[in-house]
Amino acid sequence: MLNAIACVTLLPLFGFFVLTLLRPPERVAAWIGCGTVAAAAAILFTITIGFLQNPPAEGHAVVHYGTWVGIGSFQPGFSAWVDMLTLTMLCIITGVGFLIHVYSAGYMVRDEGFARYFSYLNLFIAAMTVLVMADNLLLLFMGWEGVGLCSYLLIGFWYRDPANGAAARKAFIVTRVGDTAMIIGFFMLYLQFSTIDIAEILRRSHEAIYFNQSLYTVVALLLLGGAVGKSAQLPLQTWLPDAMAGPTPVSALIHAATMVTAGVYLIARTHPLFMQAPLAQHAVGWVGLLTLLIAGASALVQVDIKRILAYSTISQIGYMFLGLGVGAWSASIFHLMTHAFFKALLFLSAGTVIFCLHHKQDITEMGGLRKLMPLTFASFVIGCGSLASLPLITSGFYSKDEILIGAWNSGEMAFFWGGVVGALITAVYSFRLVFVVFFGAPKTHPDHAPTLNMQVPLVLLGILSVMGGAIHLRLDGVLPIGSHEVSTGGHGMISALLIVLPLVGVALAWWLYRRGITWTKTTGAPAAMLFFRRGWAFDALYDAVLVHPWVWLATVNRSDVVDSGYTAVARLTQWLYQQASITQTGSVRWYAGVMIFGFTLILSAAVFL
Amino acid sequence: MNFGFPHFMALLPVISLTVASVVVMLCTAFFRRHGLIAALTLLGLGITLACLHQQSGIAAIEVTPLMQFDRLSVFFSAWILVAAMVVTLLSWHYFRTREGLSEELYVLLLTATLGAVVMVSSIHFASFFLGLEILSVSLFALVAYPVTSLTRKDRSAASPIEAGIKYLILAGIASAMLAMGMAFLYAATGELSFSGIQTMLQTDAVHESRNLYAMGGIVMILAGVAFKLALVPFHMWTPDVYHGAPAPVTAFLATVSKFAMLVLILRAFLFARGDHPEAVIAVVTGVAAVSMLVGNLLALQQNNVKRMLAYSSISHSGYVLVAFLAGMVASTANAIKAEGIEVEAIAFYIVSYLLTSLTAFGVVSVLSSGRERVSYSRESGGNVDAETRDTDGLQDYESLFWKRPVMASVFAIALLSSAGIPLTIGFMGKFYIFAAGVTSALWWLLLVLIASSGIGLFYYLRLVLVMFRLPEGGHDGHGEEVMAPAQTTAAALVREIPVGARWLMVLLGGVILWLGVYPGPLMAEIRDILVAMRVAG
Repeated sequence: MLNAIACVTLLPLFGFFVLTLLRPPERVAAWIGCGTVAAAAAILFTITIGFLQNPPAEGHAVVHYGTWVGIGSFQPGFSAWVDMLTLTMLCIITGVGFLIHVYSAGYMVRDEGFARYFSYLNLFIAAMTVLVMADNLLLLFMGWEGVGLCSYLLIGFWYRDPANGAAARKAFIVTRVGDTAMIIGFFMLYLQFSTIDIAEILRRSHEAIYFNQSLYTVVALLLLGGAVGKSAQLPLQTWLPDAMAGPTPVSALIHAATMVTAGVYLIARTHPLFMQAPLAQHAVGWVGLLTLLIAGASALVQVDIKRILAYSTISQIGYMFLGLGVGAWSASIFHLMTHAFFKALLFLSAGTVIFCLHHKQDITEMGGLRKLMPLTFASFVIGCGSLASLPLITSGFYSKDEILIGAWNSGEMAFFWGGVVGALITAVYSFRLVFVVFFGAPKTHPDHAPTLNMQVPLVLLGILSVMGGAIHLRLDGVLPIGSHEVSTGGHGMISALLIVLPLVGVALAWWLYRRGITWTKTTGAPAAMLFFRRGWAFDALYDAVLVHPWVWLATVNRSDVVDSGYTAVARLTQWLYQQASITQTGSVRWYAGVMIFGFTLILSAAVFL
Repeated sequence: MNFGFPHFMALLPVISLTVASVVVMLCTAFFRRHGLIAALTLLGLGITLACLHQQSGIAAIEVTPLMQFDRLSVFFSAWILVAAMVVTLLSWHYFRTREGLSEELYVLLLTATLGAVVMVSSIHFASFFLGLEILSVSLFALVAYPVTSLTRKDRSAASPIEAGIKYLILAGIASAMLAMGMAFLYAATGELSFSGIQTMLQTDAVHESRNLYAMGGIVMILAGVAFKLALVPFHMWTPDVYHGAPAPVTAFLATVSKFAMLVLILRAFLFARGDHPEAVIAVVTGVAAVSMLVGNLLALQQNNVKRMLAYSSISHSGYVLVAFLAGMVASTANAIKAEGIEVEAIAFYIVSYLLTSLTAFGVVSVLSSGRERVSYSRESGGNVDAETRDTDGLQDYESLFWKRPVMASVFAIALLSSAGIPLTIGFMGKFYIFAAGVTSALWWLLLVLIASSGIGLFYYLRLVLVMFRLPEGGHDGHGEEVMAPAQTTAAALVREIPVGARWLMVLLGGVILWLGVYPGPLMAEIRDILVAMRVAG
């Protein structure tokens, strides 16, 4: 049964090819798109159940399908690495992916690029499954770049608007910076361990003959570079808010639930390296902490419904990085899963709002939707509650709780208190969003209702967001015992704090809302607020430090100095061509003469040399 | 001499090919039906392929001291037969719409294939020479087809007869060198079998007293081989002959004829162990470097596609030599038989070369088949040779993608594969050779390889660009002066494409892509064969 795991990749890939080559009409395209992912998910769930019932002795299995090329010691295989971490990721990808496919069939209706949309979405699922199943660095990189490509294609899906194209390019280029760091790290790993098999690399990293503290630190930092690019963490977080230019279900799937968590997966997968490089692991924690605070502050003051969610995604992934940084490995993966549920729910609900309010995204033009769109309201409250980690009844509570306990146990108090402050901010901004959009007097009336295939995913994701906290991930064989599972003192107090904190946050949001303080003004607002809204002016900073000098350099060097060298080479080549072509006279005498002359030359060289 | 049933069975493919050529010849005498003859030829080749299939995986068996049938010969003979079948189909399409009697062509095709198969299985200079001459003599006549073009008026186009005579004379010189070299080696060692010569060359007696004989013999044989492989300075005939010969014959010339010679030296190379004389290494290095550079330079601004591909095949022979050199250096350093990655690289590369060239020349051949569809008004001359001329001018490929999307795409794949662009088998082959070169630390040669590949990229991409350029009015203004074909006055020739031929080309293009994306099985098969050879030898 385990051998069938390739179907999880191949079925969506097949769907991609069919959709791309045939461009079928809407209804057929929707069935192909959703059908292949549904079949993949069904196969995967069967495999997962089988895996759980009788797990392999070592806790993992490798399914080898063939060798791609075999040149010397370089033998990259098509093989799937299957353990509980992989299966967890795969379940999230195909499960949430399937729901979002179904939702998209309703959301994208009557879009001229309907089949194209589904083909990209299927390609994304295929690439993402390759990424998490890869057992060697090359395959991992292929999946990694594949999802990057799909992200690019889908952000710029409505390519007629140049702004969307710009956003797509920005996402692609910014993540490329991280990818470059990552692939340098991969090369260093290959040099050090002379294999690209991930499990083998991790095993050898413990061996004394390979051990090299400084190398591990550098490699781990380079991998972190790749992770921050893909997962939109400081300092490469700037692309994600702009990535909201894509269709909203895409934001839900790629820029919230799955792709942006690839960085978390990468670090969790290579955790032995990070554990042997404490400096790098510490850096992971700091990146997470700073990102979650900075992005949380930005989320407080946004006016675009999708940008709020985008900043909140950055902030929540910050929590996952924080968890990785303090060694709460499985807690991070747990938060990854619950976040996938509730953030997908939130994005889809936001999508419903946008869909029904004829593509308005500005929350100042919304209000009072509570009565007009009851189902959307309910799912939005569940999503925001989970995001704010309302105690006991939401999944977000359990996962965030574990991360913060892990931070407490790690002994680094900045991590813990920073996380607590972040949790308060989260509660405030999420309920600010709920109150502004769904309470008060209606400003815009929805002109049509969400279709059934949009409602069903909302309900299912809502259930998952509530019940997801009860899922017990069996990651103990894969990831080491996390810092959150060690019991030290003071947990009662922390729990009490974490229960009270979100409630305080919600109350604060309500109080502010009643007082009319919603931070939605666009003019005459305090400088700090605008600063936060512009994402702490990182874009302006990068423009000033990187883009403008580069453009300036390019302008100055318009008649490229370096290029003249190449022109000379081209001239030389052309000249050589002319000289050489003189020899081709077409007369046999000359040809025979050259042969004999050349032969004599060679013979004398061989004899007298 | 021991000749039993197993030997007969092993010889079966050769017998089958011989019988097929006799049957086709007799048939031609009674029924001049083009389709029937072509079908019979295909049948003969198919039966031979089936015979080969029968003995895949057998243990090596020597049939007389001349030939050895083993997994190596079976594997490469199969490729030769497949290529011959493709060429048969191409010829059928090509000559169907042309005047003149072309049925005898298939007899020659079969005998040429026979020669190639004999070469692939020979372990003795006698059978080597025999196979080579069967192949060459058939090719002299093949190149001169179709006979009617004696009447052509257009002097600018190359004539097949002219090409045939050039090939005859120059190949005669090369064969003479080869025969002389064999005589010298025989004088030095008293042996004519590969293994015997190898053993004798290692003995000190030969080393000391008859060094000059041996060295002279080796160099002469190298010259003869280099002629067939079109290596500099024995490359001059290539463009003229490739250009003058009808397109399907060019395809045969570039693939089967060269391929058989490459397999032969690969086999001879497997016997060679230990020291390679430094002088030979130096000479081969020089030839490899110059071939890579000169081949690519000559192709640079060539406006005739067949000539361009001919020059490109010169440089490809140079690339293969890099892998041979890597093997020579490695075995000299370690005083063992050449084995491992170098030999794998050679074997893989020649298969990739066969496929790529077959596809490239195949497309030219298919485009030259069929009746002319649109005849643009031309400024000079009438429409005299439009019916017989091959579609090989650069102007014929102008915006081809918009007229013939399938053929242009397949051609683009073949060109990219020649250039060594990833996702094609050509990339994998070049990567293999590169890896072999790195293993033996041939840095200077690799530098030349990179530089010449860079030059090569220009003319491959130039052709691709020409094909994909938008028709009339679609000028983008980039690099017009370099990219545009020189003779813009000549009319573009567009013909009807036979449907069957189109699917054949799509299939070949697909194989190039498939083996470029997933070459694992082919590599594993080659490694298996070479391991088996090593155990047997």
